Amino acid sequence: MTSFGTWTRRGLFVAAVAAIGFMAADAEAQSGKPIVIGQTLALTGPLGQTGMVHKIVGEIFVDDLNKAGGLLGRPVEWKLYDDESKGSVARTQYERLITVDKVDLIIGPYATEGILAAMGVAQRYKKVFIQNTLGIPHLATYQGQFSALMIGAEPQNSFPRLVFKAYADSGFTPKSVAVVTSKFASAQFNSKGMEALAKERGMAVTYLEYDFGTRDFGAIAARVKDANPDFIWTGVLGVEGHQILDAYGKLDYKPKAHLYLYPAPSLAQVPGAEGGISQTSLEDQRPYTDDPTVKHFSEGFHEKAVKANLPYPFIDSQAGNSYAGWQILIAAVKATNSLDDAKLIEWLDKSEVQTVMGKRDFKGKFHTNSRDATQLRQIQNGKWVAVYPKERTLPETKFIAQR
Amino acid sequence: MALPGLALVEQSLITGFLAGSLYGLLALGLSLSWGLLKLVNIGHFAMALLSAYLTWYFGTELGIPAWWAGAIIVPVFFVYGIALHWVFVRFRVSEMSSMLITFALAIIVESLIQTIWTADFRRYTTELANQSFLIGGLYIPKLNLLACAVAALLAIGTWAWLRYTYVGKALRACAEDTPIASAFGINHKTLTYLLSGICAAYAGIAGVFIALIGTLAPNEIWTWIGVVFAVVIIGRLGNPIGALLGGILIGVCEALTQSAVNPAWAPLVSFSVLILLLLVKPKWI
Amino acid sequence: MDLTGNRFANYAGLAVLGAALIAVPALDLPAFYIAFFYVLFHWISLATSWAILSGFAGYWSFGHAAFFGTGVYTTATFAAKLGVPFLLTIPIAALFAAALGAGVGFVVFRLQRLRGELFALITISVTFVLATIVSNTPIDGGLGVYLIAVKVPEVFGSPTSTFYLLGLLLAAISVWTAWKISRSKLGLGLFAIHDDEDVAEAKGVPTFRYKILAFAISSGIAGAVGSVYALYVSYVTVGDTFDVTVIMYPVVMTIFGGARHWLGPAFGAVVVETALYTAASGPDASIGRAVVALVLILVVLLLPSGVMPSIVRLWQSVFPLRRETPRAVAPPAMVPAKAQAAGSAAAPAALNGTVLACTDVRKSFGGVQALRGVSLDVKRGEILGLVGPNGSGKSTLINMITGHYPLDQGTIVFDGAPIQHLSAHRIAELGIARSYQIPRPFNRLTVRANVALAGMFGAGDLHNDTEIYGQAQHWMEFAGIAGRANDFPPQLNLHERKFLELARALAARPRVLCLDEVLSGLNHTEIDAALHLIRNIREGGTSIVFVEHLMRAVVELSDRVAVLNEGELIAVGTPQETMRDPHVVRVYLGEPHAA
Repeated sequence: MTSFGTWTRRGLFVAAVAAIGFMAADAEAQSGKPIVIGQTLALTGPLGQTGMVHKIVGEIFVDDLNKAGGLLGRPVEWKLYDDESKGSVARTQYERLITVDKVDLIIGPYATEGILAAMGVAQRYKKVFIQNTLGIPHLATYQGQFSALMIGAEPQNSFPRLVFKAYADSGFTPKSVAVVTSKFASAQFNSKGMEALAKERGMAVTYLEYDFGTRDFGAIAARVKDANPDFIWTGVLGVEGHQILDAYGKLDYKPKAHLYLYPAPSLAQVPGAEGGISQTSLEDQRPYTDDPTVKHFSEGFHEKAVKANLPYPFIDSQAGNSYAGWQILIAAVKATNSLDDAKLIEWLDKSEVQTVMGKRDFKGKFHTNSRDATQLRQIQNGKWVAVYPKERTLPETKFIAQR
Repeated sequence: MALPGLALVEQSLITGFLAGSLYGLLALGLSLSWGLLKLVNIGHFAMALLSAYLTWYFGTELGIPAWWAGAIIVPVFFVYGIALHWVFVRFRVSEMSSMLITFALAIIVESLIQTIWTADFRRYTTELANQSFLIGGLYIPKLNLLACAVAALLAIGTWAWLRYTYVGKALRACAEDTPIASAFGINHKTLTYLLSGICAAYAGIAGVFIALIGTLAPNEIWTWIGVVFAVVIIGRLGNPIGALLGGILIGVCEALTQSAVNPAWAPLVSFSVLILLLLVKPKWI
Repeated sequence: MDLTGNRFANYAGLAVLGAALIAVPALDLPAFYIAFFYVLFHWISLATSWAILSGFAGYWSFGHAAFFGTGVYTTATFAAKLGVPFLLTIPIAALFAAALGAGVGFVVFRLQRLRGELFALITISVTFVLATIVSNTPIDGGLGVYLIAVKVPEVFGSPTSTFYLLGLLLAAISVWTAWKISRSKLGLGLFAIHDDEDVAEAKGVPTFRYKILAFAISSGIAGAVGSVYALYVSYVTVGDTFDVTVIMYPVVMTIFGGARHWLGPAFGAVVVETALYTAASGPDASIGRAVVALVLILVVLLLPSGVMPSIVRLWQSVFPLRRETPRAVAPPAMVPAKAQAAGSAAAPAALNGTVLACTDVRKSFGGVQALRGVSLDVKRGEILGLVGPNGSGKSTLINMITGHYPLDQGTIVFDGAPIQHLSAHRIAELGIARSYQIPRPFNRLTVRANVALAGMFGAGDLHNDTEIYGQAQHWMEFAGIAGRANDFPPQLNLHERKFLELARALAARPRVLCLDEVLSGLNHTEIDAALHLIRNIREGGTSIVFVEHLMRAVVELSDRVAVLNEGELIAVGTPQETMRDPHVVRVYLGEPHAA
């Protein structure tokens, strides 16, 4: 071995040891006087894009909270771990938060898998568990679980009904429906609800599922175009809606009426997306921003999101639900003046909380809101506009039922 | 299950063919390095995605169109390929170790992409993005067709280069039996560096088209890996035309399945076809 | 486990370790650490089980997730949907997964061409097919399976402890299995398959059976791991179960830790998972992962065969093992034929004079007819020279006899029993051995192990290590390579490698030995030594078929000579007779020299 070779080996060895030392030093836990709230988020992995939104919301909320004097007179610290978009990691990390970091309170992670895995841990340690993204409410069997969502206990039934009602109010009754859905659990769950309702109402239904990792939507788009339905329900998660619209564009197909379930907000800018609807309970526009809390939230989020390089740096339901989750937890602590999970659970069970998503209770089954507060938004001129029900939108907005 | 009409089948065939040629384009570099250099480069996908992000970045932030972006990216990647191979040679990395090293490289590139451009989706919107040729009632998307043409060109060109030029034949000789090839005066070292650079360059080219046709997210690396690995293997390692045809085979299987039954069954059909092909092994495999 | 060379110390150490590990949940540790140990055990089991086939035998599987997933969904279905008690579902899951592995192996390993990357593709495909089926049928259907209602028996007061103990049990089973296999006949066979499967088969290793066994064990463990995982995570989905992590991490961990060492994957699993949980779990997780990846790269560049072999070397430099050279044990004299192949009415006449009878053997490869009906007898105790120009079919005939390829037509009868349809390893077991013209030793096994393996799987009746290694020592001394016993074949020169070929062939106690151009490349002195050796071999009772180009050796050594040309036998008789046969002369020297 030449001397150069020896030195290269030594150099590499030193580099390796230094890197390990660096990692270990970085991993020290912290403890002390602050109230610690623990959470995991999907910071890496396939759900990383939405995890980012929740991370920004958490930063804003805790920042504001501390600026306003903290909680019960003490500063609040947010302990965040990455769950890699995996349920097993979420479950392990929540046990870490509770038994090693000894956090005072926990908040649920992003997305169904993580939520269910973490909920088991919360149940065992009897911690109050507030989550903000469980799209399949009936799976939440833990009594200490509370949903920050405004979708009610049976979104798979209520949301499709809302959609058809909105169309009917505008004089449009589709005779044929295509349900194109990802097999992501909550998307598929809600899409099946739409399929069932459409069949019940005697509509012609084309039902298509695609794999979560589908790369090319050309054949699916061709099939939808071939069926030429009056209404297309697309159970997408993330950017699939963009991809499907691209595929329609390549076939020179313009859907008459279309819906996208959980799209990435930048869908609004996709050519051909015009007229597409989705659910919402919060947008960065009036009348929502008439509420000063919402306005403040929207400004703070926008600032951070732009810094973080997000393609859509505005609040919408995703950010709103996340913020609402924090609000609910803090409201319970303030109202009971305690960090005792049992007391918090008891209080929330019978109380109403004002959030950026509106005032809500937990009287629905599985601790959801008893009044279904879901609204519709529509892509108009490259922007999302809240359009239905009329009582909840600005007078000048129109809902354009179909092209 | 209603059988799809002829027009739908034909349109799906086209879609599948074009999608498959993109698999082939992506598979090309991996097939060559695995077959001729005996190195399993899992990082190939990561580099293609990096190229895609760079293409998008150049186009969206710097106003440089994709063709020029490609002209910049490809030589840089070529150099990267040489540098990577230098590491493999210097440390006498085995086939097995190359898997771990390139997997780790993929993780590093994924992190790099996420740190710079966030985990959020990116889309490269260009004028040509949604345009198609309309021929006989069938739509042929322009950008996909271009990708297919490039894939075919590179596949056939590489095949011809390997088969008919001195350099190509020398490379194949090296892959088969290095000591004998060296005894015949073939400069093994230079050739392998050249090939490694070319494979990386191919990743760069594939990336340009991924940016134009698909959507970008750091996690996309792992969406492609299974299918493209399959394409590389079924097309036989080191066989550029095989990679292209393998890609098209899988693309067409997927598309036809999606047009006829519940699209979620697509992987079952394409991979069952692969299993059958392997078990039965017709002459052309 | 030769840690200290002292058996009692080894077992005592293990017992203490085992007791300590079992007692961990009883300590007053935060539950997270117990859970984290479970995570470590999970990956130790997955990585080690993967290595049993893929690390030892070199059949890379990218489908470990298929067996893991089988386990996950077996428990999900049986426990959550059918109400079967959780603990009972674990062995059921292991069984289903092992059956799937054995089934896939049974179909795939039959086909010799499906090795290397083609095997990898089969495993990838099986995974995708399985995942799609699970995702689109009521097994999962897409909505996942929620197991929160399934009761987890609580030991030490919490379900986390139960997972710890189950994980510990599976990890212990995995590691112990890997250890046991690596020191057993099965393990040696798998390592040989890794180095050169065809030669392993020819040396008597039942490659088909061993591969299926390894695959089934590997899959079964993965299934059990999945079974426990299902309840740990309590909500299973197809995406999470068949994730690329499950496929790639065992590969990465094994390569990092050392693929051929029984403790390598476990070591890799512990290091990688600990690094990820330490450095890559906070808000800067993404960067942390890149750092861990970088460290892995650096380590593998420095230690290409993995960390474990280097640790072993380090340990042995501190605690050197006194390795005694085994005493040479002279093998017993050649015994007549053992059990005959079933269904043969042995012709008494054949048992006396002829040991091997080829009748009308035909073989073509594609359009090329290599053997056109060769009938040749080998008399017991003779040295039969087999000569002929290149392409005449000599090597093909050897390959037919040893069962490397099936013949198209004809019969080959060995000691009265037909062998033409037997697999190569069976033929080796019955007592036919060969050496290779270009030596094909197992490069990652020592010279000693190479010879011992041949003895283990050959026709000799060896029962224990003393016999096996003792006889190996004898044959190495016989062939003059005993001084190189602890070296690896790449370190030997050509002459030594050729004699290693001989030693291996002899260690199998063959009654017929086929030598394929054993003298090529040797110098004058070495040739004399070789000829002397070959005569000694015949003295020991072995009949020899001796393919050779060197005429002086053929004439000196052979009792009879058979001449092949273009797939036909053109002359057989004493060396003097055949060398003067005009047809033979014409074939070798051309027209003008005939007569």
